[in-house]
Amino acid sequence: MRRTVTGIRSRLPSVGRRWLILLALFVGLVWQVSARSAEDAERDAEYWLGRLGPALNMTSYRGVFVYARGDQVSSMRIAHRYRDGMVEERLVPQDGASGEIVRKGMRVVCVLPDHGRIQLDQVIPSGPFAEAFSSQLMPVTRWYQPELVGDDRIAGYDVVKLGLRAKDELRYSHQLWLEKSTGLLVKSHVRSVGGEVLEHFQFTSLEITDSLPDSEFVIRTEGEAIKRNLTPEEASSPAPRMDGWTLQWRPDGFVPAAAPRSGEGQAVAFSDGMAAFSVFVEPARKMVMPTGASRIGATTVYMKQLDVDDVTFFVTVVGEIPPTTARKVAESVKVDDTLAFGAVRQ
Amino acid sequence: MDDRLKETLSAMMDDEADELSVRRLLSHGEQDQVRSQWQRWQRVRDLMHEGNLAPEAVDVSAGVREALDGAVQRPAGKAGLQARRERNWHWPAVAMVTLALVVGFGAGAGWESTGDSGALVTAGVPKEQGATPASAAEPVPEVALQGLDEEQWEHLSRYLLEHAQHNSVGAGRGSVGYARLVSASGPGY
Repeated sequence: MRRTVTGIRSRLPSVGRRWLILLALFVGLVWQVSARSAEDAERDAEYWLGRLGPALNMTSYRGVFVYARGDQVSSMRIAHRYRDGMVEERLVPQDGASGEIVRKGMRVVCVLPDHGRIQLDQVIPSGPFAEAFSSQLMPVTRWYQPELVGDDRIAGYDVVKLGLRAKDELRYSHQLWLEKSTGLLVKSHVRSVGGEVLEHFQFTSLEITDSLPDSEFVIRTEGEAIKRNLTPEEASSPAPRMDGWTLQWRPDGFVPAAAPRSGEGQAVAFSDGMAAFSVFVEPARKMVMPTGASRIGATTVYMKQLDVDDVTFFVTVVGEIPPTTARKVAESVKVDDTLAFGAVRQ
Repeated sequence: MDDRLKETLSAMMDDEADELSVRRLLSHGEQDQVRSQWQRWQRVRDLMHEGNLAPEAVDVSAGVREALDGAVQRPAGKAGLQARRERNWHWPAVAMVTLALVVGFGAGAGWESTGDSGALVTAGVPKEQGATPASAAEPVPEVALQGLDEEQWEHLSRYLLEHAQHNSVGAGRGSVGYARLVSASGPGY
C-alpha cells in the first residue's frame, strides 16, 4: 500500500515534470521555428529584392500598365525584349498626345508629335541606362524593413508581395509585387506613413514571352524622330555638380546618385536605393516663386527662395519623399559661392 | 406654378419623385410659391394624420439641392457607387429631407473629395519661412499647382521632368520610371 502510494506520489510529479519538459521543448521548438521563419521571410524578401533589378532588364514581355499619382491616371503600352545581351523596348503612351519611345540597346528614338513639352534631353536619361541606380549596392534593407507579405495574382500571373516598410519617417514605404518565375515588377505602391497609397503602378495586361517579333519594336508613329546614341563616355559621369552650394543636411542613406543635366544652375540627385530626390539651385532672375510644398502623388516639390549677397536663388527639391523631408533638405541648402552661378549664367 | 410642378411636389410627398423632376422643381423661378404649396400640403397631411404642424420657417430647398449636388459630386470610380446613387432616389422623402438637412448643416464637408491632405496644411497665401530651418513638427505650407502662372509652371515642370529623368529608363525601376516621366510631361496640370 505504502509502496503504491509513494509510487503514485513519486510518479505524479515526474509525470508533471515530463509534461513540463515536453511543453518547454515544444514551445522552444515553435519559438525557434517561428524565429527562423521570420528570418527566412526576411531573407526571402531580400532574395526577391535582389531579383528585381536584373529582372527589369532581362525579362521579355509585353503589356499595358496604368500609373496613378494624385488624381492623375495614365496608361502605357510596353514591349520589352532581352536578346543576345541587348535590350529593346517600345513604349506608347495610351492617353493624351500620341507618340512613342523606341530603344535599341543604347540607341533611343523618340517620336513625339504635337508634344511641346518633352524635349529629347529630358526624355533621355543623362546617366547610363541602369548604371547609377541599378547597381543597387545601396543597402536598401538598412532603411527599409523588408517583409514577404504573401502571394497574389496580378494580370494573370502569380506574384509575391513584398513590403518595404520605411524605418524612419524621412521616407515613404513601398510595396512591390513581383512575378514569381521571373521577378518582374508588375505592381507597386508608394505609401505614406499613414498607409495612404500615394502612387500606384500596375500592369493590367501582361504577357511574359521570349517570342516577341521584331515588328514589335518598329517605330510606327508619323512625326519628327529624334535619335540619340547613349555613349558610355556620356554615361560615366556620376560625379555630382554642386558648384557654389552645399547641402548641410540630407536624410540618412541618401547618397549622390547621378548628375542631371540642368540647363542652367546646379542640380544634384540623391537616392537611397528605392526613392530619389533632386535638388535644384538656380539664380532667380526676375521671376518670383512661392514658398511651400506641392504634392503630386508620391512626388513632393518643395520650393523656396534664398537671398545671398543681394542675389536671389531658387531652391527646389523634387522627389518621392515626404514634404517634411523635402523642406528640411531645401532649408539646408547653403550657397557659398554666388560667382559659380554667374559663370553658368553667361 | 404649373400642374407638372405640383405633380412633382405631390410625388415628393409620396416618396415617388425622380431626381430630374426634383431638380426642375428646385430651379423653378418662384420658390416662394413652391415653398408655400409644400408647406400647405404638409400641414394638410399633418392634420390628416393628427400630427403636429410643421414648423414653417424651415426651408429645406437649399438642403435638398445640396444633397443632390453632393451626391453627384462624390468622386466616381468606385464600383457600385453608381448603383448606390441611383438607389438614393428611392429613399423615402423623409429620409431624403433629413439627409438634406444634415448635409446642409455639415456644409457638405463629408461629400467633397479631400484629395491630398496628409501632412500638408492648406495655406491660401504661402508663408515666407525665412532662413532658419523649420522644425519637423511645423506643418509644411502648401502651394497649389493650379495657382501658379504660366512661367512658374514652366519652371516647375522642367524640374519635374529632370527629376523624372533620374527615375526613368535607367533608374532601375523600369516601367515605373517611364510612367513618372510621361506623367510629368503630360498636360495634366
